[in-house]
Amino acid sequence: MRVTQSLNQSQFLSAIETLQSNLSQTQNQISSNLSFTTASQNPTAAGAVDNYNQALAQSQQYDTNANSAQTRLSTEDSTLSQVQTQLQSLRDLALEANNSSLSNEDRTAIAAQATQIQNSLLALANTQDGNGEYLFGGFSTQTQPFTLSAGGATYNGDQGQRQVQIAAGQTVADSDSGDAVFGQIKTGNGTFTATAASTNTGTAVLGATTVSNAGAYAAGNGLYSINFTAPGTYEVRDSTNALVSSGTYTDGGTISFAGIQVTLTGQPAAGDSVAVAPSSNQSLFTTVQNLVTALKSGVSTSAQTAQLNNAIGTSINNLDQALNQTSNVRASIGGRLNSITTQQSVSGSQQIQLQSNISSLQSLDYAGAITTLDQQNTTLSAALQAFSLTQGLSLFKYIQ
Amino acid sequence: MSDVFGISVTALQAFQAAISVTSNNVANASTPGYDRETVNLNEGVPQSNGSVSVGSGVVVSGISRSFSQAAANQLNTSQSTLGQLTALQGYTTQIDNLFGTTIGGLTTSLQNFYGGYSDVANAPTSTAARQALLGDAQSVANSFQNASSELNNLNTDVNSRISADVTQINSIATAITTLNKQIVVGTAQDGGQPPNELIDQRDQLVSNLSQLVGVSTTTDSNGALNVFVGNGQPLVLQQQTTQLTTVPNQFNASQLEISTSALNGNVISGNITSGDLGGLLAARSQVINPALNQLGQIATGLSQTVNSQQSAGLDLSGNFGAAIFSVGTPQAVASSKNTDATTASVSVDPTGLGALSADSYVLSYNAGAYSLTDTANGSNVALTGNGTAGNPLKANGISIVLSGTPAAGDQFLVQPTATAASSLKVVLTDPSKIAAAGAVQASASNANEGDAAISNAATINAANPNLLNPATITFTSATTYSINGGANQTYTDGGDINFNGWQVQISGTPATGDSFSVKSNAGGTGDNRNALAAANQQTVGVLENGTTSISAAVSALVTGLGSQAQQINTAQTAQAAVNSQALSSVQSVSGVNLDEEAASLLQWQQAYQAAAEALTVGSSLFTTLIDSVNGTFS
Repeated sequence: MRVTQSLNQSQFLSAIETLQSNLSQTQNQISSNLSFTTASQNPTAAGAVDNYNQALAQSQQYDTNANSAQTRLSTEDSTLSQVQTQLQSLRDLALEANNSSLSNEDRTAIAAQATQIQNSLLALANTQDGNGEYLFGGFSTQTQPFTLSAGGATYNGDQGQRQVQIAAGQTVADSDSGDAVFGQIKTGNGTFTATAASTNTGTAVLGATTVSNAGAYAAGNGLYSINFTAPGTYEVRDSTNALVSSGTYTDGGTISFAGIQVTLTGQPAAGDSVAVAPSSNQSLFTTVQNLVTALKSGVSTSAQTAQLNNAIGTSINNLDQALNQTSNVRASIGGRLNSITTQQSVSGSQQIQLQSNISSLQSLDYAGAITTLDQQNTTLSAALQAFSLTQGLSLFKYIQ
Repeated sequence: MSDVFGISVTALQAFQAAISVTSNNVANASTPGYDRETVNLNEGVPQSNGSVSVGSGVVVSGISRSFSQAAANQLNTSQSTLGQLTALQGYTTQIDNLFGTTIGGLTTSLQNFYGGYSDVANAPTSTAARQALLGDAQSVANSFQNASSELNNLNTDVNSRISADVTQINSIATAITTLNKQIVVGTAQDGGQPPNELIDQRDQLVSNLSQLVGVSTTTDSNGALNVFVGNGQPLVLQQQTTQLTTVPNQFNASQLEISTSALNGNVISGNITSGDLGGLLAARSQVINPALNQLGQIATGLSQTVNSQQSAGLDLSGNFGAAIFSVGTPQAVASSKNTDATTASVSVDPTGLGALSADSYVLSYNAGAYSLTDTANGSNVALTGNGTAGNPLKANGISIVLSGTPAAGDQFLVQPTATAASSLKVVLTDPSKIAAAGAVQASASNANEGDAAISNAATINAANPNLLNPATITFTSATTYSINGGANQTYTDGGDINFNGWQVQISGTPATGDSFSVKSNAGGTGDNRNALAAANQQTVGVLENGTTSISAAVSALVTGLGSQAQQINTAQTAQAAVNSQALSSVQSVSGVNLDEEAASLLQWQQAYQAAAEALTVGSSLFTTLIDSVNGTFS
């Protein structure tokens, strides 16, 4: 084929341009440490890196969420731990007050301490988190959840429980509503309550109550009355006044019927009665208020003492239920904190994996790039040299 | 004697001419379009002196161009294809560089936006988190606007380059016509010998033209060249030029189309597929506009899903959330050729997001019926409805309503998503109006004796007018319940209970008389259910029949544009090699090789010297004769 000088030159120029542009691209790669800077250089990898980056950002967002939930749950846990301490002190006070050697004045002094604890409990139930949101308001986090009332406290919140996303498809609750923690606490032993009638004239005081056969108790509507027909005999009637059981009462003895057992000490008078009913929900603050009211009531007769002892006994039962409830909520918080910690370590390794995926696609293979740079450099300088050599070749030089 | 002089003189003249031609070749070695010329020598007519006939020297019969029409045609075709790919590559590279690997920050801003919803979910009452979310929304809108404005700028650039190309094509066509005249006259004057320089110039003009637009040529017997563009539309016929003009697109006055003024302004853009002009048209129709449409599809999807999630929840004041984004109304443009003033309006169905495509359509009215054609592939799209407000035309997630009955043959361009990205705006300014809370809340009565628990109340139909009305679920027995005192229904542990557009589940063992209430969540400002749902929308498939999430669509756009750029780069590189090959073929026939010319020069120089020597010999013979005659007479 005939080759002409002008073609030779123009082809050489375009070849040099290509070589220089390749060289410049390799230089860019090395200086940016990226194997591609625009999508066209590697569309598949660019798409994958984009996806990995999104997954990474999302995982980091989940971490942020988890941290936020962790903070709130930790605040709630420490608040509930203080609640437990206060409840325990209150229970100790109630036990102390249940001593017959105490005078009315002594009990009034104890009542004053109990009122202090009542105020502390209210303050704890109205705890706010770092954002100024009430911890125990349910969804109504901007309304003070508990306000004092005559019978205890009014709950102004709701039963909402906020969920926080800590992983794709995994949420944890970052709070518990005031109702769930303080409001809906079962009375008595959790199954039933036994209450001495306020009209009792004897000195019988309720002791331990137990459930021996839950099925047998649940079979009926749960309402019974233990009536003392004479100081030493009792009969148990259900809500339709039908006789369920009857027997002889001994001091400290146990009265069993319908799958439950009730223990009494002291001497009931004829006509005294004890009502048995299924447990219902009662607010912690009602329990505390009832205790304070009982402590403040002065006693002068043995029957009044028995009534005071019964009231304090009921309060202690209810306080035990409240302590149980608080423990259960704390256990659930512990579980949630555990799942957050687990998820944090999972997401930590996920992020490392994602970063390594991104890096393997996007980061430059330095050894390869430098080898390429060297090759391109060699080619370019060889091409330049070849051009200068061939440009000297002209017949005109030789025919002068 | 006279023969020697005569013959030598013809030789001297012929070799002078040959040296001139060779010098001319050397002089034009770098002239574009120059075709190497060679001198054609013929023997002179022999003269008989009675017994023998002797040649009468050498005659220059002509000067011919070394030219191969086939090679030239091949180069022109190759240049047209290369021109098209190079123009296209210019735009794909620009888009590739502008958008990088993240479409101008779109991926990041979307990520931040959904992350912003998560932050609001973590602290629903925090004004700072809400304000940050609005800021994130604004930066999403800015990203979409920037991306679409970059693309629109490219369209403007395409328009100005189309105009420039058309001007240049016309001026080249005029020059070819002028040369045609001169060549026809010159050929006739020189007795059929074509004027090489003019033909060279004309061929070079055709070559230049072929870089701008693909051409085909025919040569008439009188030497005139006819040039055709596109699908055989004449640009130059003999000595007449047909000027190309630019006209506004019948549907979009801001986009220029190519037209031949001679053919009643017929638009021939569709036939121009090669050359720089073809590349510009392809960049617009295959790269820029589809990218705008796809961005618009994503913007529409984003706006619709975010706004509908907003409307399902309650804001800090207990009202349903307000829209965060707005996108402009989709376009339905009547053709400028329509004979009837009927207008069309188009909207995206709120429930048709999955069916919404990034394509544009042409709605035509013919023979009393509407038909919809997808401009991307020319396929017909099935339509339902009759185009009235009560029964709109529906297809692919869009509804079209016409103001009247169009005339037969009228057309409308329907672009459901073209302007969505550029018109995406944040319309919410009050951070308290972000709906982070769910609409309804459920609670169990404190007096309940059973251990049944109620789930959160989920909103499944935010449009239900009774959604926020309080409702009480009362257990009339352990196995039946009634809502608001209605008919007894059978209780299933954990089963769905739907009412007034909400849904709850009750699980456990309820006691007779237990009750649960569901009511408006107004005041539940610490609730984050709706914000959580909004944050989770990032990965929910909503586009392309629910297969593609907003984020995935952006990724797909990045990858798609990148692949397109890569493909064009590869094709352009390949075509450049083909072109270089074609150029070599042309040069190997028509180019000037200086070594060859040097050898020719030597050859002609020696021939000239030899002819001059022959003249000297003749002269010496003559002198010898004169001398001898002088000797005789002196």
